[in-house]
Amino acid sequence: MSLDKLLRLSTANFSASLALLSLTSAVAIGGILAYWVFRSKEAKTIPIGHGWWGKGKKPLSEDDQIHTFTITTSDEEIKDLHARLDLTRYTDPLEDSHFNFGFNSTYLKRVVSHWRNVYDWKKQVAALNQYPHFKTKIEGLDVHFIRVCPPSRENQKVVPLMLVHGWPGSFYEFYKIIPLLTQNHDGVAFEVICPSIPGYGYSEAPQKKGFDSVAAARIFLTLMERLGFSQFYLHGGDWGSAITTNMAQMKPDCVKGLHLTMFFPRRNFKMSLSLVIGRYLPFLVGFTREDVRRIYPYFQKNVWQMLEETGYMHIQATKPDTAGCAVNNSPVGLAAYILEKFSSWTDMKYRDLSDGGLERMFTLDDLLTNVMIYWTTSSMTSSMRFYKENFGNLINRLDFKTGVFVPTGLAAFPNELMHNPKVWAQTKYRNIYSYTFMPRGGHFPAFEEPQLLADDIVQFVKKVGKI
Amino acid sequence: MLTLDTVFSFPPPPPPPPPTVSLVFVIMFTEVLVALALGGLLLFIFQRNRKQVLKTEDGWWGPGAPPDAQEDVSIHPFQIKTSAEELQDLYRRIDQTRPVLSLEDSQFNYGFNSQYLQEVVSYWRNDFDWKRQVEKLNQYQHFKTNIEGIDIHFLHVKPKRVPKETEVVPIIMVHGWPGSFYEFYGLIPLLCDPSERDNLVFEVICPSIPGYGFSEAPHKKGFDSVCAARIFHKLMKRLGFQQFYAHGGDWGWLVTTNMAQLEPKIVKGLHVNFAPPSKPGLSMVLSLLLGNRFPKLFGFNGVDIQRLYPCMEKQVVEPIKETGYMHIQATKPDTVGRALNDSPVGLAAYILEKFSTWTCNDFRNLEDGGLTRKFSLDDLLTNVMIYWTSGCITSSMRFYKENFAKGLYQPHSKMPVYVPTGFACFPKELMHTPKLWVKQKYHQLKSYTTMARGGHFAAMEEPQLMAEDIRTFTKMIEEK
Repeated sequence: MSLDKLLRLSTANFSASLALLSLTSAVAIGGILAYWVFRSKEAKTIPIGHGWWGKGKKPLSEDDQIHTFTITTSDEEIKDLHARLDLTRYTDPLEDSHFNFGFNSTYLKRVVSHWRNVYDWKKQVAALNQYPHFKTKIEGLDVHFIRVCPPSRENQKVVPLMLVHGWPGSFYEFYKIIPLLTQNHDGVAFEVICPSIPGYGYSEAPQKKGFDSVAAARIFLTLMERLGFSQFYLHGGDWGSAITTNMAQMKPDCVKGLHLTMFFPRRNFKMSLSLVIGRYLPFLVGFTREDVRRIYPYFQKNVWQMLEETGYMHIQATKPDTAGCAVNNSPVGLAAYILEKFSSWTDMKYRDLSDGGLERMFTLDDLLTNVMIYWTTSSMTSSMRFYKENFGNLINRLDFKTGVFVPTGLAAFPNELMHNPKVWAQTKYRNIYSYTFMPRGGHFPAFEEPQLLADDIVQFVKKVGKI
Repeated sequence: MLTLDTVFSFPPPPPPPPPTVSLVFVIMFTEVLVALALGGLLLFIFQRNRKQVLKTEDGWWGPGAPPDAQEDVSIHPFQIKTSAEELQDLYRRIDQTRPVLSLEDSQFNYGFNSQYLQEVVSYWRNDFDWKRQVEKLNQYQHFKTNIEGIDIHFLHVKPKRVPKETEVVPIIMVHGWPGSFYEFYGLIPLLCDPSERDNLVFEVICPSIPGYGFSEAPHKKGFDSVCAARIFHKLMKRLGFQQFYAHGGDWGWLVTTNMAQLEPKIVKGLHVNFAPPSKPGLSMVLSLLLGNRFPKLFGFNGVDIQRLYPCMEKQVVEPIKETGYMHIQATKPDTVGRALNDSPVGLAAYILEKFSTWTCNDFRNLEDGGLTRKFSLDDLLTNVMIYWTSGCITSSMRFYKENFAKGLYQPHSKMPVYVPTGFACFPKELMHTPKLWVKQKYHQLKSYTTMARGGHFAAMEEPQLMAEDIRTFTKMIEEK
């Protein structure tokens, strides 16, 4: 081959490669531009919508007054409870099964003995009534809430804060943390509003299908509006987390800050990839050492363990009316069903203890008061339906695809059901002001570690409000 | 100067080596290869034909340690009893029920409809005659015998009349969850009485799985379907049967399959109406992916196509909708059983929901769940009463955890079945298994019948059809 031929060939190649390079970079730049444009067009809020959940047809006008409410009990109620407790037909647990087959019947007998002979429901009702309770009708339902103001308003900024519970909890979960929040924290104190999700406790249950977390969010936003708050903070865990997240997505201008203890990312490919790489090269994907300690072994902790613990979720998300029937008629059955969660979800290792470790972090009185709220209001079935309403339409949920842009504070407790590192949380919560690795605590942190949780909420609010 | 031919020129070829040495090597090499191949093939064929037998160890399920004394092998007659106290207690609990209204327009889609449940309960409280049903239950002879530390309950029904030249064929029939031995009460007379079509009468043994009904529940962990199968083999031996047939649906399917795997020489024939694949193999996956386009390749007929597709809806979404009970029972049986053992109405809702949905899943859209279309309330409530009066709901649920706890790849799920098998394919069964899939496990599938009607509780719903199929299958095996 002659030299000039060679040169001509290489020049042609050079221009060809130049052309190819220009083309690819054009496509790349175009792609990036398109992505950027598309991203900024991504929805930042979800539609507010509307609903009506009462019996029959919606009336022309609705009573929007706020009425005071007092929890009451009666001798009949207590006698009926005791009669049912006495009628319980226990089944002996398998030898050596502890809490691995569910709530151990031998230990259950001890709990029931306390309930029958020592527990004083009248005293507990008085304790529940220490804070002012109210009811107001929204979208056809009587919505129950407590409202606790700080003891004095002088020399401090009073910040409104709504706390939303989950399942199988109630507003009562927050009774230990409320006094810590209404205290003066260097000039900041909270005015706490604690509603019951419709279908739970003293809030009326919806009569129509379709009542999901978005509907609950809208009702709670209406509640805050009715109470005269234009801006406020939110805190939630379990279903409370889903509801408060929806509230922040519906009216971000009203939500000054969102504080969560349980939160889910928007699953995407990047997340799955980081899961694989993160075990060996955590810093490459943004995991801290603590993240690694909590996530891995992934299959064991997040897949097998989840399968072992989500039977209740599966049945409640498909057949709540069936699952709720028996537990609504057997207080012991109801207690076993609810308290099993207060055992496993506080620490999974408690499943290997004969007493489920139940009284390590909670008193029987506190646990039973929560159970009594479900029992006396017959609300277990309606509380279970919330699962079906929320999981029924997973594919079409707009709120799952929408991000959260209000200042967010995340408190990651070590024994929470699933650990989500900050990098994963950022796929959904785009404005994270604080992410705290908590030293102890499980799924019911307000109940279990009120001081830790209160401290984190305070530091978050101070950060957001620049106080 | 470089020219094309100078660039692209080959060196001259080397002279060929002498033929002798290399040829010998080649022949030797080929021989070894062929020998290996043949040997491998023989080994493969031999391995396939060698019938694998399921192994099992003895067990002890009574409380505490097994006693040193000799096992009590006596068989005691047993009568189901009731009392005024039992009924009074039941009625008090029914009257105490706190109903919760179902959502407007939800029918049976959220579970057992509360409004219809009130109707069922009203019948139960005012019209259902448990004393009369107990007499009906006692029309057949019941017995109990202690095996591996627990009392096993069973029915033993001998044919009343054996015409000349009629063979008496022993058959064991095993129920499932949430059924009981009572499911077979409509089927038993059709098998025990002589038929015009053939010269067979059956001698029926109908046990209760330990932990169900009147069979004592195991006190120790680990009681799975293989243990139940082993105990039932001991039962049949104790009754003096050298060979017998077996029939089962739901858990009964698995227990009788295990029986066939444990002692293939003793189980003459296996008849099942439910056979979910225990080990999804390559052929099953391929057939699902391509069966829609190439049905003939996999032996799929119109019924198969209609019941398997669309894949996502029928193989994924439907099972998820209907397996919540299985999930919770396989993980927390003691928790979920607690309330069910205190509230008869709750128990009835839990059990009867299955008799509605598993008979036809379209019944979910009916206000009354279509419950009385195929069953009478008396029959349905008798089954519920067996669970109620024996207090066995929790132990019945533990069977799920014990069977799923060791994972899906147990020895018995990997092992095929070599006993002649008959499969009755009912149109509304929970899971449809085409012939190809059944054959993966049951290597001696002798009959596969597509039934005209019926769902999961086929023996109770369509006893005539079931009896016909059992008879046809048995006759086929007996004639060989």
